[in-house]
Amino acid sequence: MKNIQNEEYYLGDDPDEDSRDGEGEKMNTDFSKLELKPDHANRPLWACADGRIFLETFSPLYKQAYDFLIAIAEPVCRPESMHEYNLTPHSLYAAVSVGLETETIISVLNKLSKTKLPKDMIDFINASTANYGKVKLVLKKNRYFIESPFPEVLKKLGNDVVISKARFYSDPYGGDGFTVGKTSGELEAGPGELLNAAELAAAAEEKETHSFEIDPALVETVKQRCLPSELNYPMLEEYDFRNDNVNPDLDMELKPHAQPRPYQEKSLSKMFGNGRARSGIIVLPCGAGKSLVGVSAAARIKKSCLCLATNAVSVDQWAFQFKLWSTIRDDQICRFTSDSKERFRGNAGVVVTTYNMVAFGGKRSEESEKIIEEMRNREWGLLLMDEVHVVPAQMFRKVISITKSHCKLGLTATLVREDEKITDLNFLIGPKLYEANWLDLVKGGFIANVQCAEVWCPMTKEFFAEYLKKENSKKKQALYVMNPNKFRACEFLIRFHEQQRGDKIIVFADNLFALTEYAMKLRKPMIYGATSHIERTKILEAFKTSKDVNTVFLSKVGDNSIDIPEANVIIQISSHAGSRRQEAQRLGRILRAKGKIEDRMAGGKEEYNAFFYSLVSTDTQEMYYSTKRQQFLIDQGYSFKVITSLPPADAGSSLSYHSQEEQLSLLAKVLNAGDDLVGLEQLEEDTDGMALQAARRRKGLMSEMSGAKGFVYQEFNSGRHKSSGQQSRKPKDPTKRHQLFKKRFV
Amino acid sequence: MVNAIKGVFITCDIPMAQFIVNMNNSMPSSQKFIIHVLDSTHMFVQPHVEQMIRSAVAEFRDQNSYEKPT
Repeated sequence: MKNIQNEEYYLGDDPDEDSRDGEGEKMNTDFSKLELKPDHANRPLWACADGRIFLETFSPLYKQAYDFLIAIAEPVCRPESMHEYNLTPHSLYAAVSVGLETETIISVLNKLSKTKLPKDMIDFINASTANYGKVKLVLKKNRYFIESPFPEVLKKLGNDVVISKARFYSDPYGGDGFTVGKTSGELEAGPGELLNAAELAAAAEEKETHSFEIDPALVETVKQRCLPSELNYPMLEEYDFRNDNVNPDLDMELKPHAQPRPYQEKSLSKMFGNGRARSGIIVLPCGAGKSLVGVSAAARIKKSCLCLATNAVSVDQWAFQFKLWSTIRDDQICRFTSDSKERFRGNAGVVVTTYNMVAFGGKRSEESEKIIEEMRNREWGLLLMDEVHVVPAQMFRKVISITKSHCKLGLTATLVREDEKITDLNFLIGPKLYEANWLDLVKGGFIANVQCAEVWCPMTKEFFAEYLKKENSKKKQALYVMNPNKFRACEFLIRFHEQQRGDKIIVFADNLFALTEYAMKLRKPMIYGATSHIERTKILEAFKTSKDVNTVFLSKVGDNSIDIPEANVIIQISSHAGSRRQEAQRLGRILRAKGKIEDRMAGGKEEYNAFFYSLVSTDTQEMYYSTKRQQFLIDQGYSFKVITSLPPADAGSSLSYHSQEEQLSLLAKVLNAGDDLVGLEQLEEDTDGMALQAARRRKGLMSEMSGAKGFVYQEFNSGRHKSSGQQSRKPKDPTKRHQLFKKRFV
Repeated sequence: MVNAIKGVFITCDIPMAQFIVNMNNSMPSSQKFIIHVLDSTHMFVQPHVEQMIRSAVAEFRDQNSYEKPT
């Protein structure tokens, strides 16, 4: 740090400032005018006027700069040696909410930047953070306070028509009526590690806080009033759990063997930054130990905790994780699902349930009605929400309105949604507190090092000819999935990994027809939506323990809920259109680190210990979807290797569908299967799928839209939109015509 | 007597050959342009369709490639 000096000089408004502004629109992408600092080689950042920031990961200051950037900016793309970040109002809101101040943000950014900080960026930061985080909503001794270190802001809020109605006046004799208290400086400010101690102390001087109390019944209206659309003083919510002696304490500690890893520690420190608990979202890749973060947070708050998961299987897993990592007693934890309705005893405890159970709108059984009532009346210390990216915003609102909680923590691996509703979470839960860098975790050996590969399988002549035919537009997917070359590649990979490496393999197929065909032909077990629970458990048990069962075929059901830590190879033969989330979730199935830690570390014995193959038929729609799906992982720094020579040419007849007759009979099978058979499997709660379908724009005539052409309004075929108009108009496939009519119709 | 027809000789991979054949089949018979399909990767077509085939193939490929929106 000693090389970086003389900050003030760069910040000042130099006379040449105006000439730069005069450049006009052209400045957008041309940054050659930015002034390099003389010691730029020692600084890790490039900051551009449009809010983009580039970080050199090979810089000695990378770690500190990364911690800082992740707090203030949104990661866009994080490949190996250069990261791209974007400053957005939301990311700055998140920064302020973890305790960074505007001046600190600008000065640290300026310190790290190779160039003089563009004026636009400074203005942007000032404008975005001016009001964020100035006001806090604190729940103390069960009374809601609006708290702020700036009395003038409080005065403005207090005089607002809506808010003044909700306000309790403690001082009847005039004056501001604000309570003045002292809070010690932030215990752990984000950039602390990279500023020297003296500077930090100056930044986080003891501040006076002013506050006034508001009516708990009107909290929602006050909160709404403060949103950017109205007063623009978004409130931060914090929970002073240590001084909460109204709610009973829950006696739980982390067990000594639960050692949070450095990044888990860091994410927790963001949450408990100043001795209080903040609401927000923590983003960690699958397999990186999200549940330990959740359990640790609960153990630190030590109050009643409501844990929400997506389905019954993960409810069981969460309950198990709580017992595994903490000293919680069996009678303090209960599960509430449609199958097991355990009543809670005692006055503090952990309840694990699903979003659906809480948000369910219909009539409930008497038993669950009682439990819900109890949930409603209770004041929860922590609301722990798993997989926040999958839950529709509407359901969130409902859950949040039913349960009264001091602090909300959302956990997820992939903060992307196809319906672009991800920003809603900022207001429903809170800002993103922490996001881990996948590649750093790989380097640290915390998650598996995955080799991603896209295997290009050329279509065979006959399959492609059928694929191109208009009357087969509904079968397109089945045709490219059942491409014999793909089948052979899949068979080859399974054989290779089973025999040469002794790996455990999961094969994913969204298309049910393909799933059954593949599984039958290769004689492997398969699980799909309709597989009974008993059979499912039996297959998975065999997969985990038996030496003979090394491959299992899964449909969409395996994306999230099935936990198979043993598997380390994924072969994807068909997928759900362009869902980036599905791709990431599937990769997550094999991210759990395996093998010895020294082998896994960079430079260890095995470079890769997990494999992710995506089989793609070339020259088909699949190529489009496949590239789209990979975007999320590519942004995380993964690279996909393209393999074109699978199966090897000498594999010959050792693999299935070698001869043309076999291929033709397969083709006939595909063509004769009903349209409903070859389609996608429809699962409940598949919000991403709905969004993907709904967002698709299609070209059509007005007459089609008005029903004149028998247009089907809601279609769930995965075909390209252009063809959908033609599908309904196409003549019936002559081969399927009834015998009687066949004769008449030539 | 030998008949000479002027045309364009196309070499491509198997799927693209199928694509061109399919294109040919979808045309009304007066506009069919394939003179002879030699084998699965070669064919002989009328000279004036070269540009049309090129642009059709380019469009087909564009449809199947995803570009990241910026």
